[in-house]
Amino acid sequence: MSFWKTIEDIDRRWVYLMVGLAVIIPFIFPTEFPISITPETQMLYDAVEAVPDSSTVMVVFDYYPSTIAECQPMSVAALHHFFRKDCKVITLSNIPLGGPSMAETVTRRIAPLYDKEYGVDFVNLGYKYGYVAVLSGMGTSIESIFPTDNSGTPISKLPLMDSVRNYDQIAFIFEVADNATADYWVSIVNAQYGVPMCCGTTAVGAPKYYSFVQAGQFVGLLGGMKGAAEYEILLSKPANAVLGMGAQSLVHLLIIAMVILGNVGFFASRRNKRKVTP
Amino acid sequence: MSSVELLQIWIIAFFTLALFSFLYKDNPVYKLAEHIFAGLSAGYYVGLVWDTVIITQLWDPMLAGDYWLVVPGIMGALMFTRFSPRFSWVSRVSLAFVMGVTSGIFLVSQLHGLVLPQMQSTMQSLGTDNGIGAMFLAIVVVIGVISTLIYFYYSKEHKGVLGVTARIGIWFIMVSFGAHFGYTVMGRVSLLIGRVQFLAEDWLGSFSHIF
Amino acid sequence: MRTTVPVAIAFLSGFLMVVSFFFREEATFIGGLSQNLLIWLTIVGGFTLLLGVVSITRVNWNAVKARKEGWIFKVFTLVSIFAMAVPAVLPSSWSPLFGRAEGSIYDWLFTYLDMPMMATMFATLAFYIASAAYRAFRARTAESTILLVTATVVMLWRVPMGEAFLNQFPGDIPTFLNTYIMNGANLAVQRGIIIGAALGAASMSLRIILGIERTYMGKG
Repeated sequence: MSFWKTIEDIDRRWVYLMVGLAVIIPFIFPTEFPISITPETQMLYDAVEAVPDSSTVMVVFDYYPSTIAECQPMSVAALHHFFRKDCKVITLSNIPLGGPSMAETVTRRIAPLYDKEYGVDFVNLGYKYGYVAVLSGMGTSIESIFPTDNSGTPISKLPLMDSVRNYDQIAFIFEVADNATADYWVSIVNAQYGVPMCCGTTAVGAPKYYSFVQAGQFVGLLGGMKGAAEYEILLSKPANAVLGMGAQSLVHLLIIAMVILGNVGFFASRRNKRKVTP
Repeated sequence: MSSVELLQIWIIAFFTLALFSFLYKDNPVYKLAEHIFAGLSAGYYVGLVWDTVIITQLWDPMLAGDYWLVVPGIMGALMFTRFSPRFSWVSRVSLAFVMGVTSGIFLVSQLHGLVLPQMQSTMQSLGTDNGIGAMFLAIVVVIGVISTLIYFYYSKEHKGVLGVTARIGIWFIMVSFGAHFGYTVMGRVSLLIGRVQFLAEDWLGSFSHIF
Repeated sequence: MRTTVPVAIAFLSGFLMVVSFFFREEATFIGGLSQNLLIWLTIVGGFTLLLGVVSITRVNWNAVKARKEGWIFKVFTLVSIFAMAVPAVLPSSWSPLFGRAEGSIYDWLFTYLDMPMMATMFATLAFYIASAAYRAFRARTAESTILLVTATVVMLWRVPMGEAFLNQFPGDIPTFLNTYIMNGANLAVQRGIIIGAALGAASMSLRIILGIERTYMGKG
């Protein structure tokens, strides 16, 4: 068997091993490269900075635990940003499997760092089925859709919600999503109620939302772990996303090398076949 | 680090490595983890629906006097008739309600919130008001949008002008899908980095507390 | 009757939601009615989440009863379902281990078992995509070559190491990529797809409201 054929038919587990090593090595030998800021992330940061201090905002946890590595750094950074501006934060989720739990865990971890009190400075509304109904219904009355918060406390008993009836009292919406719910926030909430919003999404979904940014429907966009790293840099709070960039770099280079090697082997094999069978 | 925290980290590490073991070969440890995962995910919904729907949205409000809620409560319960071949037609009432309301919202929101704004922002000035670069970009976007829509229009054969435009559309689509693939690789790798971060920092870090 | 009543319900509820777009105030009759329908939707739809649970329980129970291959593992599935569900529905006033609050069995099982396993399941995709890229990503045609080259360049651009490499070449390649690839060709194609999909969704919604589309009802 020719060398190139051997390369082409290599057991996939060797490929898995190489990928595994490429992820592990940067954690053992960390390297740092400057992380440049894309215009979309800068726009998002500037838009959040422009939100008046002490405004009431929404941070939406529309991602499954499966994409926690990409999305959680975004939601954590968003909470840092809003709490730093003394904004009142309402969190909710349209994801049944884990959304409200993650919102609860993250906000309760970040809020104490800024001496924020539950019910006064932040509230977790939890989850209700039917994102279409939830998004539409909150335009008229948030309390009718979420009569209680995630813990079962009537929201009429939460001081923050005294002054919040519907989207009219919401200054900004920061949507973190790993699925198409971001489309519905745009088409229902932004289009019908005019609430400015931005989106942090997984790298898989990010290419689609460039068109929303250009149309002005999103004021900014975070795409994947790189986007989260950029946001952390802008906030001067480098965390998990920045740490992951070394491993991200090495794996990307490995995959590019494998694609090139695979194609070189493909063309070499094809040329050999043509020589054998003229 | 307390012994409870240590135990929790080790439990997470065990199931993480159990699932990763499938990369080498299917094995009973992987199967065990997979089946437990499926069961936990299903059980999660029970607690969620009990708390957020049955107690919060039905039981408590009805006790407070909102008796009309018995209607959606019954409609929701009728959903379970789907499991009976004889009475599954009853669930159509609930399904029709859900589909009807959702469709009504979609009909307006898709047109008003997606089609119109996207079309509007495609109609950028093709002049040099904002510079040559912006003009070129606007032209690229207009050609790209139209040729993509034409490519996906299958009601007419792609011949003549339609065929040429569809051909241009394919080239645009290949560039976009290439970018999409690059981003997808980035996304998948990020998810792996998250797990490795846990194993490298939390799990391996716990060894120093044990030994 | 079995079809007429559901079609009528779909029409009335859908039509009302379209009309309510123009009567947003809850004080109006239409506005108030539509808001109630939205609340009802969150309740009725919530029960659909349980359909899958009932189904998976039935399938696994039958497999265990019939001692099908791998039935031992299905026992673990059933135990996991009940271990998660039962403590969650019991009143938290009986014990802090019950209910859904932090510190409950439900919360613990989700945070320390379900969530990490969900993340790990998706993490394995990185290995598969690398293997697929190596084995199947071939520049066989001009179109696939464009796709491959674009993917390679974007993969380079999106990581700091790769961006540093691209900056070695003359011209601002990263800015070019962001402006003309992501905000140019990619944006155009995605916009075309968004418009097409939205038009399709709107027409499907209209068909459901008018009763032309009835496949959601199933057989029977």
